[in-house]
Amino acid sequence: MRYAYLAVATALLAPAPGFSQAPKPVVLGIVTAQTGPLAAAGRFQMNGFAMALDALNRDGGIEIAGQRRPVALKVYDTHCSPAEGASAMERLASVDRAAMVLGELCSPAVAAETPVAQDNSVPFVITVPTAENLTLSGNPWVFRVNADNNQLNQALGRYVVEKGLAPLAFIAWNNDAGRGGVRSMEALLGASAKVAYTGYFNVGEVDFSAHVSNIRRAGARSVMLFMDEEPGALAIRQLRDAGLGVQLIGTLAMGSARFLARLDAKYLAGMMQYNAFPPSAPQPRIRAFDDQYRARFKEESHGFAAQSYDALMLAADALHRAGTTTDGEAVRKALAATSYDGVIGHIAFDAHGQAAPPVYVTQWCDDGTRKIIFPAELASACGGG
Amino acid sequence: MAFPAMAFPAMAVIAQAVNGIMMGAVYALFAVGMVLVFGVMRVLNFAHGAVFMAGGYLCWFAMAHVSPIYPVALLFSTAGGAAIGLVLERLVFRRLRENLSMQIVASLGLILMAQNGVLLLFGADALQIEAPSLRRVLRLGELGFTVQHLVILAAVAVAVASLHVFLSRSRLGIAMRAASQDIQAARVVGIAPDRVFAITFALSGALAALGGALLGPLFLVFPGMGDLPLLKGLTAIVLGGMGSVWGAVLGGLAIGLLEAEATLFAPTDYRDLVVFAALIATLLLRPRGLFGTAIRGEP
Repeated sequence: MRYAYLAVATALLAPAPGFSQAPKPVVLGIVTAQTGPLAAAGRFQMNGFAMALDALNRDGGIEIAGQRRPVALKVYDTHCSPAEGASAMERLASVDRAAMVLGELCSPAVAAETPVAQDNSVPFVITVPTAENLTLSGNPWVFRVNADNNQLNQALGRYVVEKGLAPLAFIAWNNDAGRGGVRSMEALLGASAKVAYTGYFNVGEVDFSAHVSNIRRAGARSVMLFMDEEPGALAIRQLRDAGLGVQLIGTLAMGSARFLARLDAKYLAGMMQYNAFPPSAPQPRIRAFDDQYRARFKEESHGFAAQSYDALMLAADALHRAGTTTDGEAVRKALAATSYDGVIGHIAFDAHGQAAPPVYVTQWCDDGTRKIIFPAELASACGGG
Repeated sequence: MAFPAMAFPAMAVIAQAVNGIMMGAVYALFAVGMVLVFGVMRVLNFAHGAVFMAGGYLCWFAMAHVSPIYPVALLFSTAGGAAIGLVLERLVFRRLRENLSMQIVASLGLILMAQNGVLLLFGADALQIEAPSLRRVLRLGELGFTVQHLVILAAVAVAVASLHVFLSRSRLGIAMRAASQDIQAARVVGIAPDRVFAITFALSGALAALGGALLGPLFLVFPGMGDLPLLKGLTAIVLGGMGSVWGAVLGGLAIGLLEAEATLFAPTDYRDLVVFAALIATLLLRPRGLFGTAIRGEP
């Protein structure tokens, strides 16, 4: 909500030559988690939206049908709850009259929100959840800027097979994200890599000792962790403290300086993870975003922030091309025709509304820096991942 | 890089026994605090998990800003938990003593207030209690446990033994037991119920906060850290028998052990199913739990 007030205040203070009245702000809806177990991830998402909001309003907002209009965000904390997500979407569509809705962190919440978006003809741009069925369900009002489980796993799966890291073990969240990740990786690997153990845990659980014992018993060579930072740090600590020398393989949440701060280089050395946005990568677009993010938030940038930043920028681009904020169908068509060079890479949606941004595999070095190890053409030295 | 499978599955059983008893000890500590309050006052305090969580945050605060010595932080948290217990009794539960449904509503409200309060004060990120000496790994053949595993077991043993001595030997402990059996008769022999109730709540809060402070260095400190102990602690109380301190202790240990060992033979996400199936089976055979006795006034 504070972003909405901020944008409106900016709009009122800004000079508006040629108009006796300030132009009406374009309202965009944000669904995220600002409290509860996923509040930390939600903060990254909101940081990305806040950066994009400022960038847009610094230029006077979005030019729609010849008029520049400031952007205002209506933010709802859905706590990743499907019921609260559906309710927030209903409110954004019917009360706030949002031209588009962006964000969300959890696949189950998205699954509840998308039918409401469709019923109200409001385009919905997902920026973090990865369950592949979210864009495969045939709902034309749903778009996703970030890579889905299949896209993320492909690079990692190929690397696992190439390096002979099987038999594999999985520890995953007992939800759509975790189970979807495991399912997708198992389907990708097929018979080429043996899975020795799969264990699930509920969000909020912190004791991984049962998984440690089972992985040791199963004789796995590598362990894939489908979870975010907090349980990831706990799982790694417990695996290493128990003396397991397995190859650790993580998700994009585990390739950041923040993650290193939760553990230390000793625990992470050699660990690899897929990554949609390696913040230390030498590419100019990533460097520029990371520098700007660091200057504002005093920490390394994060993939969730970059994805959310890009989503808001391309939403503005689509509204500009559609020339309307009230004709949902026109906005949807403009979004579907998106071809946008963002911070995370080039974004264009396929027939299911799914983008195909670049995916990397990064690895932790002994000195606590990271390097890109996949794709080979983008491989970097330690400190460049 | 390959790590050999365990030579004997028995080692996995032993590893899980240690892990299970450690978690079970924390559940037991939690359950004993709830049982004390329920036994003496007939108050079911669901906000006990919030006090557990507060203990974790107090420990983090003490280690970061008061003294980096862990035993000092434990004492700080325990004292803080006792103070929270006193405040809760005086401001909330004293007024709701005869109203079970309002106790439940009030304690659920307290959980929301506490969890969002710590979010405001400490932020959304889970906190790590920095205590390298507690993280030191002790090797036992293939197995490895942190020093904190042993600290938890020792601290819970000392706390439960001290509580037993307090309840059976001290005048105040005997007064608490008297109040739990018949409040009117206790009044007749000169026991002041309000004082007993306040001390019971303080003791209960201290035990909960101690649990949070013990688990914090091993895992993380976050707003929802009391949720799981609340669920398992309640289960331990029902399994052990409502109102029985020793029942709560054994119930907690049994649940910890059962859920840990179950993961060796069933998928890890089925462990709660195993625990609750065992609970239902126990209640079918012994409807008052393992050590439960008939409560005066109940059919």
